[in-house]
Amino acid sequence: MNRRNVLIGAAALSLLSGAGTADAQYTPTRPIDLVVHSGPGAGPDAFGRAFISAIEQEKLSPVRIQINHKIGGGGATAASYIVEKKGDPNTIGLFTSAWIANPLVQESAKATVKDMTPVVRLVIEPAVFAVKADSPYKSMMDIVDAAKKNPGTIKQSGGSPLARDAIVRHVLMSNTGARWSFISFPTGSERIAALLGGHVDMMIIEPSEAGELIRGGQMRALAQISDRRLSTFPDVPTLREAGFNVPNVPQARGFVAPPDTPREVIAFYEQLFEKVVKSPTWQKYLNDNQFEDAFLKSEATGKFFDEYANLMRGILTGAGIKVVR
Amino acid sequence: MFQRVLRDSDVIAGALLAALGVFILREAWKWEYAGFDGPGPGFFPMWYGVAITALSLWLAVGRVLRLRTEESGAVDWPGVGRALGTWAAFGASVALMQPLGFVLSFALLTFFLVTVMFHQPVKTALLTAVGLSGGFYLLFPLLLNVPLPTGLLGF
Amino acid sequence: METLAGLGYGFGIALQPMNLLWCFTGCVLGTLVGIMPGLGPAATIAMLMPVTFSMDPTGGIIMLAGIYYGAKYGGSTTSILLNIPGEASSVVSCLDGYQMARQGRAGAALGIAAIASFVAGTVGVVLLSLVAPPIARFALSFSSPEYFALMALGLALVVLFAGQSPLKAGLAMLVGLWFTSIGIDLFSAQERFTFGQTSLLNGIDFMIVAIGVFAVAEVLGSLQSRQHTQMLAVPRGLRNLLPSWAELKACRFAFVNGSITGFLIGVLPGAGASISSFIAYAFEKLFSRHPERFGHGAPEGLAAPEAANNADTSGALVPMLTLGLPGGGTTAILLSALVLWGLKPGPMLMQDSPNVFWGLVASMYIGNVMLLLLNLPLVPLFAQALRVPSYILFPAILGISVVGVFGVAQSLFHVGLLAGFGLLGYVMARLGFPGAPLILGFVLGDGMERALRQSLQMSGGELGILVSRPIAAGLLACAMLVLMMPLIGRFNRWRIKGIAENG
Repeated sequence: MNRRNVLIGAAALSLLSGAGTADAQYTPTRPIDLVVHSGPGAGPDAFGRAFISAIEQEKLSPVRIQINHKIGGGGATAASYIVEKKGDPNTIGLFTSAWIANPLVQESAKATVKDMTPVVRLVIEPAVFAVKADSPYKSMMDIVDAAKKNPGTIKQSGGSPLARDAIVRHVLMSNTGARWSFISFPTGSERIAALLGGHVDMMIIEPSEAGELIRGGQMRALAQISDRRLSTFPDVPTLREAGFNVPNVPQARGFVAPPDTPREVIAFYEQLFEKVVKSPTWQKYLNDNQFEDAFLKSEATGKFFDEYANLMRGILTGAGIKVVR
Repeated sequence: MFQRVLRDSDVIAGALLAALGVFILREAWKWEYAGFDGPGPGFFPMWYGVAITALSLWLAVGRVLRLRTEESGAVDWPGVGRALGTWAAFGASVALMQPLGFVLSFALLTFFLVTVMFHQPVKTALLTAVGLSGGFYLLFPLLLNVPLPTGLLGF
Repeated sequence: METLAGLGYGFGIALQPMNLLWCFTGCVLGTLVGIMPGLGPAATIAMLMPVTFSMDPTGGIIMLAGIYYGAKYGGSTTSILLNIPGEASSVVSCLDGYQMARQGRAGAALGIAAIASFVAGTVGVVLLSLVAPPIARFALSFSSPEYFALMALGLALVVLFAGQSPLKAGLAMLVGLWFTSIGIDLFSAQERFTFGQTSLLNGIDFMIVAIGVFAVAEVLGSLQSRQHTQMLAVPRGLRNLLPSWAELKACRFAFVNGSITGFLIGVLPGAGASISSFIAYAFEKLFSRHPERFGHGAPEGLAAPEAANNADTSGALVPMLTLGLPGGGTTAILLSALVLWGLKPGPMLMQDSPNVFWGLVASMYIGNVMLLLLNLPLVPLFAQALRVPSYILFPAILGISVVGVFGVAQSLFHVGLLAGFGLLGYVMARLGFPGAPLILGFVLGDGMERALRQSLQMSGGELGILVSRPIAAGLLACAMLVLMMPLIGRFNRWRIKGIAENG
């Protein structure tokens, strides 16, 4: 957290504590439902479980928190479930950047984060550009130059066209004028297998996954998508350091509550989650997975939603994808 | 002759599937067939849409041509009625799970099936309905922590 | 030598009393999870993960993996008895397993399933301990063009499921392809055939289609024909509850075929257990001397897919343990458990934590024996379940189907879809359209479209990529051969007829 955020946080805290004396303090009495949009084992589910286990190990919550899977539509099912739970203090949702980006192009997505009450932003996930260990490319510039020289020969494996890896590609392509193809695979395993088998040239991968494959001599990192160098990759330049003047595309995770959630309920969650974020258990998890601590309270999280949606609108329109809201 | 054609199951199935094929083609037409990154979302539906339309027309037309030589078998209408009745009851109980929850609507379904479809006495039906739905409730949500659809009453 | 030393070390760990207990617990839970539709191994492992954090990681992974492969043992139980697949991988076991039960051989079918599971589970672990690193390299050489060829081979096998009319089988398969493309297109984020329904954005789960077309449709079909008082004959006596020597002998190639097919396909991160069981079944039928018995209660038609889905588990552990790449939902959650214990799954796991790697592999040898001993005594017990009068059994089947679908999708909308697929399955059966090709098209269609589009993206639109790579070309050639089979058969019959007439 940078200094400005601390100041904003402190100001918000003092405001809230002032409000807290006026309103009654809220404490939940029933278990809290934590809605995630993936099935057991996938990213959001694993993240949610790690967060709950940090709460349990530190004994911070007065009630149990349980995972509720609302799978489907890249977050659309979970989002409409949360919007239906209007005013329910015992439901919160674990949002990812997909919750903000996907409704921009999905006509049938009826609920967006704008309909919900923001609670906190927790982390920003950095990522790295990686190639196979025996790849001829030694830097990001090498790849971009090769792509310029022979358009369409360089291939990148990735996920959905709305996912961060595709967005970063668009940003880089429009910045440099190079073009390379993007091949979608539904799971991370298939993306990595395509790279390790030499079927594609590069990919964007989470630092924790990349770390082990690099240590095992299977992969090399060329650049990192982060504002600052990660502690586990001290020698790998960030995209800016590698010579690309591009905006950082953050991938965020945090919590939202249903529409019209009372202020004192939001205050309760803000305080609880701030304690979790400061706990050693959570800090260790962040470090193990190379997540960047990016805690924001309710109001700032709402601003972040708007900024991120605007950034995405610009990028998607530039990439020729139709934006519907 | 003409009426027989219209009542033949293969002809009806062929016509319905051909309609499905045309619907698929119409939808696939709206999507990109191929773009810079390779085949688009319309590529695959276009091809199986063509295949469905072609094969179903073949089925219907082939059947019409052979109709003179082959008799279609008699339909067991009371049997079909029982099957469709069961299905309607099942569909209704699924629709009732929203307000009533699994336990109650499943008990109603069981009671209906046992009395109407299996002609068992009301007492047997009541026992079966209560026993089965109670058993499901004990086993799944209580013992195994498997969620069942809950209704307005909370179970 | 290194392997033997590793295994020896692993058995030293797995045979410690606490780890034996964890292995047994995992196997018991796995069997239960497999039997109960609605309880999936992935969800169960996720639920139990917090409990294992206080445990030693080796004991924890031994138990959680026990749930994973144990579920494959139990998965066939409801497939055989009620035509309800307990897990996605045991859908194919319905085809011949349920027919065996209808002929009064429920006990034999359950016994064969248990034995096939044991043989294949053990073969799978042997292969896992002997050839994991080289087989992982093989998996990496497999990419989109090869997947496309594999799926094409799978779809070509539809001719084997054709029954009376190849035309109707083909149509059923194409409708399966349509159902599988419902949802958001991965490549373009385009919604396809969602009819404005948010619930359809993620597509339809395979289990909903399978349970609807098999179990619900079977209930409707049985109610049509008046077999009211008792659904299935259950002969008395222990002898009738166990597989006969002749049945086991008929299965001996199926055990081998299923084990190897299941393991090899399981290693590929882009193909699931349901694909391996379909392909093993089709191979069995392709090389059988009595292909006409398949679908009418052929024991080898049950043994092959049952073996395949068990060998598949060991196969799926290969990329997970050697590269840190999980092949599917359940291995993904096992992997996240390893991460939460503070281990680092990836290529270095075998060196960094040999106790976890070899302890787990050794425990799987023991676990398979435990599962066999656990499942065989259950056979007579479960076979008795069919003695229940049909007015109780049929509503129960509908109830279990609902629980199974709700457990997978957590939404009443999808339970409504189940009713729709039940009606579709019933109507299809009435009109002579076989159900298996629809399921096959549904399972393979999604992966096939993906692989084709990925291949063409790789090659810049050149179709040549599909035939210029040796594995892909070989698989496509096999697919062509399979498609020609009915023609060759017809030609032979015509020739024999010609010879007979001339002679």
